[in-house]
Amino acid sequence: MEILTAFAIGLTFAAGIFQILQRNVIRSAIGLMLLTNAISLYLLSTGAWVGEKAAYVGTAAGHPVDPLPQALILTAIVISLGTTSFALAMLFIVSKRYNTCDADGLKGLSR
Amino acid sequence: MILSAHIVILPILIPAAAGVAGLLCRGLPRLRPWIALGGMAGSLAAAIVLFFRVQASDSALVFQAGGWAAPFGITFVADMLSAFFVVMSQAVLSAGVVYAMGSRDACVKYPAFYPLFLFLATGLTGAFLTGDVFNLFVFIELLAISSTVLTAISDDRFGTEAAYKYFYMSQLAAFFMLLAVGALYVSCGTLNMAHLARIIPELPKETMLPMAVAFLTAAFMIKSATFPFHFWQPDFHAAAPTPVSAMLSSVVVKLGVYGFIRMTTLVFLPHAQTIQILLTILGIAGIAYGGAAAIATHNVKRMLAYSTLAQVGFILVGIGWGTALSLTAALVFAFNHSIVKSAMLMLAGFLASRAPVKSADFSVVTGVGRVLPGAGLLFFMGSLGLAGIPPTNGFMSKMMVFDAGVRSGHVYGLALIGASSVLTLVYTMRAFMRIFWETSQGKEEVKPQGDCLAAPAILVVMVLGLGIMAGPLVDAAQEAAVRLSDTGAYITAVMGGEK
Repeated sequence: MEILTAFAIGLTFAAGIFQILQRNVIRSAIGLMLLTNAISLYLLSTGAWVGEKAAYVGTAAGHPVDPLPQALILTAIVISLGTTSFALAMLFIVSKRYNTCDADGLKGLSR
Repeated sequence: MILSAHIVILPILIPAAAGVAGLLCRGLPRLRPWIALGGMAGSLAAAIVLFFRVQASDSALVFQAGGWAAPFGITFVADMLSAFFVVMSQAVLSAGVVYAMGSRDACVKYPAFYPLFLFLATGLTGAFLTGDVFNLFVFIELLAISSTVLTAISDDRFGTEAAYKYFYMSQLAAFFMLLAVGALYVSCGTLNMAHLARIIPELPKETMLPMAVAFLTAAFMIKSATFPFHFWQPDFHAAAPTPVSAMLSSVVVKLGVYGFIRMTTLVFLPHAQTIQILLTILGIAGIAYGGAAAIATHNVKRMLAYSTLAQVGFILVGIGWGTALSLTAALVFAFNHSIVKSAMLMLAGFLASRAPVKSADFSVVTGVGRVLPGAGLLFFMGSLGLAGIPPTNGFMSKMMVFDAGVRSGHVYGLALIGASSVLTLVYTMRAFMRIFWETSQGKEEVKPQGDCLAAPAILVVMVLGLGIMAGPLVDAAQEAAVRLSDTGAYITAVMGGEK
């Protein structure tokens, strides 16, 4: 299970990095989201393999999992919700203003 | 006792509360700037009180949020270093609000402008005062989002493009930060900086710690626009609104500087030497490259952005040498550079606002200054401050870096630094002559009204004041640098218990 998770997270990272390097700004935004999720999964995996029951929930016997990484991801997810919606809104305005979705076309500043 | 602990979070809470108040006063556009000014002034006062409280205490003031003890709760720590940076940032941010109040840009009339500015202040102050690595990430994210929005609403038509570039870079820094958080948590099981500092020297070799060090270094390098990560900064500063770019190029880059000082003097002591060598090399590269690139630019704001790259290089070299004297020099340099650079960027924005076309391009602003003797005087004084010529504070900071270098025997770097600081004189004086002496080619008149000069005037007076009476600042920096070497006191203050 650990190996499988590691590969899955690695694959998400690879897909995210591939997409963020694309010239299309929408694809780069998708890459941003994939990377955010990959990092969330990576953070989750730091506490996933200790303990077998949910912390602070129910009365089942056993060693509870570490709740801190989950709390961290919760914060990270809330922040990424804001950043993703902001990124999409900004890319919408940028692509309308420059009439292109190609990142290479956005070079008004460095002429 | 309770009061002395709560003063630690006041510089964070006051701007945040003022920002919320500004958002609630949507229907009162005349009141909004005054709320912002009041918030920043209150925050500055709280920061100064905090600084003297910390100085009077033996090590650091600690606020444990919710009363949870150190490694479990969220900790805010104000030691001399944090308090020094907080006073610096609040002083410059207050001047930024004053500039925005006198600005004729359309973007400062935007309802969310002042609240966003205050949230930027909250994020910056929080990042300086937090004692927890994950909390640092949260505050840096708040800072990054508010500064991106502030750039995107710029009057300049390339504002959104600049915001797009800055946003991607700051997201990258945030990702690096989170990767470092994960690696730290796996290898140490804690994210509290004092607890990390206690655990890390005793860790076995086979952990993910080197990865955490690498990612955190990369994140702070992007934040401070260190040499190979600087490429977003000039583009960004040319398009951001003047009050915002003046903040981002002066105090926000100091966040990375602060991070490096914390990493090398507290958290990653076993890895400090590697980081310091890296910082020295990249700092010197930045000084040379920034100086040369500033000469080659065609825009005053771009020139100042490249100049920031060079000046941050000086600070990084000071951190890289790692002695108490060179850390003092780095702190004094950081304080002085924040004031000079924000004053210069405000003056560049002032000139752009008076130019026939609103732009800081040399082709537009050449000759604009001939009818503006007041701005000319301020620009000249600021240029002297950037180049490091007495009686300005720039002279003090450069002299201290040289002194630290000579005493620790780094003569090879000093030669290069000396050569590069001549470049500073070349580009600032060339800009001064083009703007204030040459006649403009075009026939268009200089606009009769523009931004208010009050904020840059205050900052330039501080430039001169800190040049003539540098004693208190140098003493404060020295005490901060000396206290940094006593990590035990810091850890005990946060964690409690024996040394």
